[in-house]
Amino acid sequence: MKLTALQDKNVDELRMLLGVDAKKDLLLKKLSELGMPEIKNEIYRYFDTQSLLEKQYDRIRFVPKKIEESDKIEIVDGIIKTAPKGIRVYYGEYKEVDTAHFDPLYYLGHLLVSSVIIIELDGDVETEILHRFTQPDTLIAYRLVIKNQANRHATVYETFEGAHAEGSLVLYGYDMHIAKDSSLRFLKNQTMHNREYSMIASHKISVQKQANMVYKSFDFGDASALTLLKAELDRFAHIEAGHLLYIAGHAKRGIVSQIIHKDEHTTSHQEAKNILDDNARGIFDALVKVEPSAKYTKAYQNSKSILLAENTYMIAKPQLEIYVDELEASHGATMGQLDKRQLFYLQSRGISQTDARKMLVMAFANTLIEKIKDARHQERIKTSFEAAFHASNKAEEHLPTLLR
Amino acid sequence: MPQKEIDKAVAGEYRIGFQVDIEADTVPPGLDENTICFISAKKNEPEWMRDLRLKAFSKWKTMAEPHWGHVSYPPIGYQAISYFSAPKNPPQSLDEVDPKILEAYEKLGIPLEEQKQLQGIAVDAVFDSVSVKTTYTEELNKHGIIFCSISEAIQKHPELIKKYMHSVVPMNDNFFATLNSAVFTDGTFVYIPKGVRCPMELSTYFRINALNTGQFERTLIVADEDSYVSYNEGCSAPTRDENQLHAAVVELIAMKNAHIKYSTIQNWYPGDETGKGGIYNFVTKRGLCLGDNSKISWTQVETGSAITWKYPGCILKGDNSVGEFYSVAVTTLAQQADTGTKMIHLGKNTSSTIVSKGISAMKGQNTYRGLVKIGAHAQGARNFSQCDSLLIGSECGAHTFPTLECKDSKGYIEHEATTSKISDEQLFYLRQRGISEEDAVSMIVHGFCKEVFSQLPMEYAVEAKALLNLTLEGSVG
Amino acid sequence: MMKIENLKANIGSKEILKGLNLVLEEGKVHAIMGPNGAGKSTLSKAVTGHYEIEITGGDIVYKNRSLLEMSPEERALEGIFLSFQNPVEIPGVNNAYFLRTALNAKRKHEGKKELNAAEFLRLMKEHLESLGMKSDMISRSLNEGFSGGEKKRNEILQMLVLEPDVIILDEIDSGLDIDALRAVSEGINKMKNGKRSFLVITHYSRILDYIKPDYIHVLKEGKIVKTAGPELVAQLEAEGYESIEDENQ
Repeated sequence: MKLTALQDKNVDELRMLLGVDAKKDLLLKKLSELGMPEIKNEIYRYFDTQSLLEKQYDRIRFVPKKIEESDKIEIVDGIIKTAPKGIRVYYGEYKEVDTAHFDPLYYLGHLLVSSVIIIELDGDVETEILHRFTQPDTLIAYRLVIKNQANRHATVYETFEGAHAEGSLVLYGYDMHIAKDSSLRFLKNQTMHNREYSMIASHKISVQKQANMVYKSFDFGDASALTLLKAELDRFAHIEAGHLLYIAGHAKRGIVSQIIHKDEHTTSHQEAKNILDDNARGIFDALVKVEPSAKYTKAYQNSKSILLAENTYMIAKPQLEIYVDELEASHGATMGQLDKRQLFYLQSRGISQTDARKMLVMAFANTLIEKIKDARHQERIKTSFEAAFHASNKAEEHLPTLLR
Repeated sequence: MPQKEIDKAVAGEYRIGFQVDIEADTVPPGLDENTICFISAKKNEPEWMRDLRLKAFSKWKTMAEPHWGHVSYPPIGYQAISYFSAPKNPPQSLDEVDPKILEAYEKLGIPLEEQKQLQGIAVDAVFDSVSVKTTYTEELNKHGIIFCSISEAIQKHPELIKKYMHSVVPMNDNFFATLNSAVFTDGTFVYIPKGVRCPMELSTYFRINALNTGQFERTLIVADEDSYVSYNEGCSAPTRDENQLHAAVVELIAMKNAHIKYSTIQNWYPGDETGKGGIYNFVTKRGLCLGDNSKISWTQVETGSAITWKYPGCILKGDNSVGEFYSVAVTTLAQQADTGTKMIHLGKNTSSTIVSKGISAMKGQNTYRGLVKIGAHAQGARNFSQCDSLLIGSECGAHTFPTLECKDSKGYIEHEATTSKISDEQLFYLRQRGISEEDAVSMIVHGFCKEVFSQLPMEYAVEAKALLNLTLEGSVG
Repeated sequence: MMKIENLKANIGSKEILKGLNLVLEEGKVHAIMGPNGAGKSTLSKAVTGHYEIEITGGDIVYKNRSLLEMSPEERALEGIFLSFQNPVEIPGVNNAYFLRTALNAKRKHEGKKELNAAEFLRLMKEHLESLGMKSDMISRSLNEGFSGGEKKRNEILQMLVLEPDVIILDEIDSGLDIDALRAVSEGINKMKNGKRSFLVITHYSRILDYIKPDYIHVLKEGKIVKTAGPELVAQLEAEGYESIEDENQ
């Protein structure tokens, strides 16, 4: 199917086109109201969705298989393949779809699936989710729901493989419910290569009273993807969001987020580091909204970008929308090249330009990488980062010195 | 707009069809080709100007009112507005000016006579759409400076108007600018010749007076090579219950090595605390740094209007050109302001500075919206932005929506923003030294705005401070 | 001069002062000493009307009036001055402008003529020199970017200019090097005129080598537990606050 067919349609037309029943009319209404992404739509303005939506995709028939036991949760083309012992992973109906999400594709995602993958994290657990995409030129759509338990502390580490999914579009996303007094650390490590899949991920995170959410994304490679994230904070809830972007080639990649402080004493800390090489385009479009009911909020937001090559393009939109006076809020954004004086200093000590650049780029990224508590996860992400660095530097050796 | 009239416009029939009573002083509410021809005829405009207006009008009819701003207001009835009103008996000299008008000016602190004598400021006062008095023209003439109403400039300097009008803000730039292009009634034109440093501050006070007249000024300032001009625009309007639409267009052009400094103090009627009444201020202001090493500085102190929607910007085309934006925007009562700037870097080594201070009190909603764009060929372009918000009270809002785009790896953008309230600790410190709470708040607020006030010419800085106190009166406690 | 009677004060829901009694005599230097958390700073806040403090009992009588109903600025205009432990920074507010406003508020209150800018600057110049302060200090923003020593000198400068009747010095010596300490104490000693009262709040006895106290009051757990002459300092030095028993019990 072609997703552009869904543009400018009313609820009845959408119901027909998507083949869903009237039970989903509320979602259809939201999709119709928000409209399919297009250039005029502010949140998709800098991410070229048109070429992705125009394409004719195959669809996969949803055939659930028997879930085998393994050390991780493995999801292949949206179908659960394995799950570790002690973690409940199953298909189910999701009745708590956010009725006020800003992203139309959040609704499309929910409309395209007949059931969602529910992951229940019982107790203090740590688990890994591997997403594998195997089909070329296919629309791979699925939704996941994560629920943890009150007073418990869980960690989820997420990775992706998509070597055979050339030309596919993945529409996936989570609805996460972070229970009262609990914490969830969610680490995404995603290296995407050109001639693999593209992705639009649309999440909703509800952080309940006194809960603590950590969302860290490490996005590398030269393919395009956009993450859309909405987080809501209940009383005394905290979210820490970190986004490391290191992209090259013709990748367009980044995050569009809304962190909404709904009640008193909520805190948020969002930090993005963007490193762009070749012709890459980076997007950081992040809103922090403090509602009138959210006194004593603390909100901090920062984006720093390094433009390594002549044709890179960075867009930063750090935004504060504040309706209460008892708060502390600040944001900042910078973009520029590597510090020439630092580079020269290192080179004057005999370090090659490539190594000096690597050193500085690493140092820039490290504030996010080194904040990862678990040493094993930190190591894996560091490895991915270095691989991305080498990949983009190898390509560079063919360029004239001037452009380096 | 009925189809019949559109057809008429397209067919060009309106030229023959229009019939207006040019003896009238006020045109009845409504907007069509006839109204535009009336305005044009009333002002004795040449045909080319009337055609430009009609062209703008036909474009405007195809455009939709924008609603992306962080403001809300009931629909504007464009057909309910009267687009022209002139005071009776236009005066030839100051002595002929209606004493009542002079009195009103004095209440606003702009006694023409006194300013003429004491301050060395030439005032081109716009009273209800028509320029009633231009002073100091002789002194300016000596330097070859043209400072006159835009209507006069259309008559006397058509070559300059033809060349530069719409060159920075295109006719179809946006809904309100296009409307202005069709119906503008008067405004100011300034031309500073090559190598001339304008010997005095130029100033215009706008004032909306008659009931239900939209005010559509048009300002065009051209600074030729190596010249300098500082232009001040002050505005105030008396209390009115009806919302009044104000959609001005300001275009600035700075040639090589030229510097234009444009300062605004805006204290139009803000409406009451329920949001009733007040001015809708939907303004398009843009400067073009056309030549190398040119500079345009915008300074604005915005305390009035029910709704403000404006983004004085700079297009930095010349290499090494500089754009500056210093702003204090205060929203109190039920005011809404969505204001900021656009800095478009096109030339090499261009630089821009943005300092925006937003103050929200009572039910005021204050939004900073800015765009900084470094184009792919603007090597070495730099921007620094500082956007701070101060909240006074728990029902107001402060919003910061910057967009930063960099397409040049040698460019550098830095943006910082903070939002806070007046700290209890600061307030207590000042009160412990015997300063009353009200004075302490005013002191802290002035401190917060200092960077911007220091950009204003001295006498305007004093006025701005007084205005700020007046605006915030009663909003604390 | 000032009488504090059975004063009880809370910060938040916590009771800090639990029935404090203290009499400040005219022309005398009173030192309040006590361990951390005893309520020393709370006392200074209670006297000056700080927003955090809720008075739950007792009274502070000053010049035959209760202070409790007075706003912070009224208390200041009546001659109560607090040298803050950590003076807050106020960006953009010019130091000289601030001080002239404060001085003129007081002069107006006392029915005196307000000083114009020139008269004020002359006055400032004198004081700046005596405190060893650079003249550019007064043109900077109030306390902004000041070092610890500069902030304390600035507090003393304000004290000299405002000529208060009761001077409360909250940990005036904290963060001061020896030169600054000397300059600051000279400023304070210059203010002694037989009428002014001083309340020196300190954790350490060092400052008392420079400003000779007439009385030492030991504040423990929200009450004055002992009052004695300057000889008590030596005992506190040697034995600490532990050794002091509540003499009222």
